[in-house]
Amino acid sequence: MDVLPDEDEAAIQATAEDFLAAECTPALVRAAERDAARWSPALFARIAELGWLRLCLPEEDGGDGLPLTHLAVLFDVLGRHLAPVPMHGTMVGAITLARCGTPAQRAILPAVGRGEARIALAIQEADGSWSADALALRGRREGDGIILDGAKSFVDGFRESTHAIAAFLLDGAPALALLESDAPGLSATDLVTTAKDSSASLVFDGVRVPASRIIAGAAPLRLLMDLAAAFLAAQMAGAARRATERAADYAKDRVAFGQPIGAFQAIQHMAADMLIGAEGAQLLAREAIWRLGEGLPATVEAAQAKAFANEKCLAACRSAQQIHGGIGFIEVHDQQLWYRRVAAWAHRCGTAREHRRTVAAALLDQQGPVRLDVPLVAE
Amino acid sequence: MEFAFDAREDSLRREVQAFIAEELTAAIREDIDAGELGVQFGPIATAFFDKVRARGWTGVSWPVEYGGQGRTAMDQFIIEEEFGRAGLRIGGAGTGAPAILASGTEEQKRAFVPGCIRGDIIFAQGYSEPGCGTDLAGIQCRATRVGDTYVIRGQKTFMTSAHVATHIFLMVRTDPASRRHAGLSILLVPIDAAGITIRPLWTIQNDPVAPRGTTYGENRTNEVFFDDVVVPASCLLGEEGDGWNVAQRGLSIDRVGARRYLMSVLRDEDIVNWLKKDEAPNRALRADPVVRDKVAELWIEGQVCRLLTMRSMTIARRGGDFVHEASAEKVFAPEHGVRATEAIGQILGPHAQLLSSSPEAVEEGVFAHNLLGAFQSTINHGSVQVMRDQIARKGLGLPRPGKRGETV
Repeated sequence: MDVLPDEDEAAIQATAEDFLAAECTPALVRAAERDAARWSPALFARIAELGWLRLCLPEEDGGDGLPLTHLAVLFDVLGRHLAPVPMHGTMVGAITLARCGTPAQRAILPAVGRGEARIALAIQEADGSWSADALALRGRREGDGIILDGAKSFVDGFRESTHAIAAFLLDGAPALALLESDAPGLSATDLVTTAKDSSASLVFDGVRVPASRIIAGAAPLRLLMDLAAAFLAAQMAGAARRATERAADYAKDRVAFGQPIGAFQAIQHMAADMLIGAEGAQLLAREAIWRLGEGLPATVEAAQAKAFANEKCLAACRSAQQIHGGIGFIEVHDQQLWYRRVAAWAHRCGTAREHRRTVAAALLDQQGPVRLDVPLVAE
Repeated sequence: MEFAFDAREDSLRREVQAFIAEELTAAIREDIDAGELGVQFGPIATAFFDKVRARGWTGVSWPVEYGGQGRTAMDQFIIEEEFGRAGLRIGGAGTGAPAILASGTEEQKRAFVPGCIRGDIIFAQGYSEPGCGTDLAGIQCRATRVGDTYVIRGQKTFMTSAHVATHIFLMVRTDPASRRHAGLSILLVPIDAAGITIRPLWTIQNDPVAPRGTTYGENRTNEVFFDDVVVPASCLLGEEGDGWNVAQRGLSIDRVGARRYLMSVLRDEDIVNWLKKDEAPNRALRADPVVRDKVAELWIEGQVCRLLTMRSMTIARRGGDFVHEASAEKVFAPEHGVRATEAIGQILGPHAQLLSSSPEAVEEGVFAHNLLGAFQSTINHGSVQVMRDQIARKGLGLPRPGKRGETV
């Protein structure tokens, strides 16, 4: 039992922190928001050069084959600096393909490692449910392929993607389709989110996917959703931690009633709760990601992490706004970037209510007594 | 990162579980319950604890030369957790032994530590006074050096185990001119020294007595008076005037570990396992979406408590370089225990107010007694308010509050 980064993980974390602190400035985040593309291709290219994208991909797919916990620390740092790059969907999709895909499907992975292939996840639909039970997009067999008809929504990073992984129903059971983002019959409408990043609704109008691009079964979708929730929770924990540090720095300088506001216990105690919230989310996310890396069931752990992060990380970023007072609400001040991003992330990949429903089912709907240190397995 | 125990630790846990299942009979339990604070028992329980010691399950992480097992802190955690889950407190003996190991002379280590492990030396913690608790810098209890003795005069309060202890781990002011943390010292005082008077302070758990498994079930604490108590100067632990630092070394051990963790999270398991009972009211409640959402929320917080504890264990194993982490654990876990206790009350309804002696009490009234006791853990061993000060200042570098216009 050792819940802190080991030497390798800490080294990657330190390198990533140095790099993003220098390269991914608030100015770059703002520039990405103003750009029609809504992301930073230049930063993503540098990240690809640094090898982050291939770090946890299998060696046979052109990766470095490192444990998934390396991505846990990377998402933390990406969150700290609000990096406007399609890392989340790309890594979730790539790890899912590496684990569940056929050799033909895995052929995309070397390009992922080089930053040339970027993946968007098309899971949720118009009702916004984060649940495999809510799938309505249908595939029908035709020749040696599948024809998809229906719609998806909340597809983050679609604009910058080269590929999408869409969850759909095939013969009444969940399946995943790997398709090109410019596939004929696929059209996108941009959504405008509090993060001002790219998110889209998709319409599938007879989109044809070769049978070789289909991954059938509930398990791959489950893995993909667990990875998505856990990675995003890790990213939120990093953002909340940085928002807390920034607010503390501000409180050391800002003087009111004759002393720095950070000397007031009302501020100190708020800051302490912000830090605890961010650290709790970080630990939950890292445990979920460690279990996913070990190939252990992690649906409950991912749900725990995202439910906690949604509430505590948003609260930390909101409290950071509170500490900044009026200036935090002003567009030209950078602090609001952390609040707006986390306000979006808290509503992606499952709400607290949905994730707690998963935890409650594992707790209450199975036989036998529970123990806090014995992992629950979702049904 | 490695979020699992290793195979040896898993096997140790199974061994302890099997021992408890086999050896801890109803008769032993009765004998232990008849004692007080898990330290005074009849002959049946004494024989049981002899077996526990024979297995090497006390003083687990303490040095071999002082009667310990010289094993890891995690081994000790696992053993204490399993016994704690069975309602038994083993090992530890409070702040005394860790602080003596950290600051004591060779002679003191040999005189006290093996006895703490055997259980025939028990320390009561003499910190709080009527005029100071959380801010120990206000200590007024005096010890005056006279030749090769100290003469102690003053009063201590909330000395929970004074009536069963053999010694007091006493914080006194040795320099009358000193202020705040300077001029404090620690004395290891035999409880039977002439001039010590112990009077009970009965807690709100006294009538009726709390059932086993209550978070904070102590029915009694004590106030202790020192009326020119003379002890040899060799009772001094560490340097005279360095008592604050000597005590800190013991306190940091007190704030992490299995006991506090269990205290904060056992309610989460209790309510889930109670809801799973195959009876009509339990079935109805566990189908209620509001109950399900709340129980899941508590469970997730309980997981955070567990992970914060594992983080403290990790830091301790890597050399003990704590910044704010033990304080973070000491805020989140006790407050979670209170949130869980109160939320469970709202799930159970009017039954949650029924104490152990009441008809229709649920689970012998344990949930009602928890309402009387859970919040104690947010007060003792450093209140959560002081812990938040520590987190803000050490973890985030915020300044100490000062007078207007100046930062101290």
